[in-house]
Amino acid sequence: MHWINQISEFCGKLAAWLFFIIAAMITYEVVARYVFLAPTIWAEEMSQFFQIWATYLGAAYILKKRKLISIDTVVSRFNPRVQWFFDLFSLMFIAIFCLVAIYYGSHIMFESIQVGRSTSTMMAVPKWMTESAIPAGSSLLLLQVIAEIINHFSHPDDVNSLSGEIDI
Amino acid sequence: MTAALILLALILLLFSRVPVAFALGGLGLILIVLGDLSLMMVPQGLYSVVDNFILLAVPLFLLMSNVLLKGGVGRDLFNAVQSWVGHWPGGLGVATIISCGIFAAISGSSVATAATIGSVAIEEMSKRGYKKSFVYGLVAAGGTLGILIPPSIPMIIYGVVTEESIVDLFKAGIGPGLMLAGLFILFSFAYARFSSAYKPVPKASWTERKKSSLRALPTVILATIVIGGIYLGVFTPTESAAIGFAVSLVIVFSLRTMTWPKLKEAVMESMQTTVTIFLILAGAKIFGKAITLYRIPQDISVIISENFTQIGMFVFVVCIVLLVIGLFLESLSMLLIMMPVLYPSVLNMGIDPIWFGIIFVIMIECALITPPVGLNLFVIQAVGKASMSDVIKGVWPFTLIMLLSVFIIYWLPQIALYIPYNF
Repeated sequence: MHWINQISEFCGKLAAWLFFIIAAMITYEVVARYVFLAPTIWAEEMSQFFQIWATYLGAAYILKKRKLISIDTVVSRFNPRVQWFFDLFSLMFIAIFCLVAIYYGSHIMFESIQVGRSTSTMMAVPKWMTESAIPAGSSLLLLQVIAEIINHFSHPDDVNSLSGEIDI
Repeated sequence: MTAALILLALILLLFSRVPVAFALGGLGLILIVLGDLSLMMVPQGLYSVVDNFILLAVPLFLLMSNVLLKGGVGRDLFNAVQSWVGHWPGGLGVATIISCGIFAAISGSSVATAATIGSVAIEEMSKRGYKKSFVYGLVAAGGTLGILIPPSIPMIIYGVVTEESIVDLFKAGIGPGLMLAGLFILFSFAYARFSSAYKPVPKASWTERKKSSLRALPTVILATIVIGGIYLGVFTPTESAAIGFAVSLVIVFSLRTMTWPKLKEAVMESMQTTVTIFLILAGAKIFGKAITLYRIPQDISVIISENFTQIGMFVFVVCIVLLVIGLFLESLSMLLIMMPVLYPSVLNMGIDPIWFGIIFVIMIECALITPPVGLNLFVIQAVGKASMSDVIKGVWPFTLIMLLSVFIIYWLPQIALYIPYNF
């Protein structure tokens, strides 16, 4: 399962630096507009493109790091054995969601490739290039869920809730 | 009936510790299947929710405040403010609130604000003999100004969900933010008046003032750029966040307080928070779409308009519900679950959605400092190495002050609405 963790770790870092690049692109756009008086045609679209990818590439990492928000108040009062079942249920629930997102997400992606859909901007970026982020990210998340489920069975005493906190 | 069943299912899922994002998204998925609707809505929802330029402001504001937090600008800012007001009665308390207020004009997050100012304010105030619980309460509450004084991540999310103008929301936050900061300052004075436990700080000399202010100046300039740029329409909130991030990198690197490992941490933490928020947003989008096809918000809106003839009663009940939900649920999830359901009713009753947004944000602030899951409590506990019971003892007067401010803004909506409608 080591390799799954490594993939999630790598994609998490990639996602983080994509957000950093977005910041650089938008800063450049503002400078280009006010200083060079020549706004770019790519900055806004590229940053949205990166945002979609970064979000779904980061999902598996978030699960791995236990950063998903959940309500811990009730379940944490139960004994570890019961908590174990609740967490298994959560993982299964996420897995099913991922399967749907992968199946229907790839459907949309393949359709876009066949029809040749692209964005209605000057760049005319093929749609599948961003749409593929959904099935790709969901697959990564599904892999991480599987790794967590295996870990859940091999270390049943290691009760480790999925919940984390959000830093707002 | 359907509405009640859906609500019950959602509560069961959430309390079974299913992550909020997937409880919402998964329940949406189940509703789509049961309603014989197209499951294409699931990937479409995931896609459309982040295919949004405005939303980019979230990671960018987070990057900026995390960089400043790691760069330790909190200490410079606090020292500067302290050199001006520290000798007043309860002066360090006042300095804490003013520093939080200034940092809030850069940061859209209350946790970053509480952590940035808290780490230094708690240390200085404890040295001067201020009562622990008061200090913790003050910093936890002062931190919440981060989301009321613009920029504000909850306001961005509110704007994205309701399609209201984020710039108007930001402008509407200024008046209430200053008022709440003022009330906190008054409370610090009153506290100092009735407590003799603390040692007043000697008045700083002009050279000290000049020196410390100069060091904090870049931060104040940054705040002016970020808020001023949005306010004057020079750039959008997203652009302002990107520029602010670039400028803050320049600041922390030229002050030599930033290192490569710290930058990596800031970048990783911003990504984690962003993706966590966006996943909940995506789940809420799918859930929202599903319940709209079941006509739930419309039905609830009818029920509400049949039962509430007065706006006051409606707002009061919403606030009570938020206060209760806030005990269990983290603040943004609260916003994302409630707003799609409430929004049609708000419009139906002729309530100004910008004003309602401000009320909602203050209720989120309350949720941030009420146990058991008030996030700012954990932050203060961590940065101040405090016991949870001390923190909890300290925050309740501030919760009351926040509720008081909701009351004032209810009676004087102009406090929020004057700036967005006149400038």
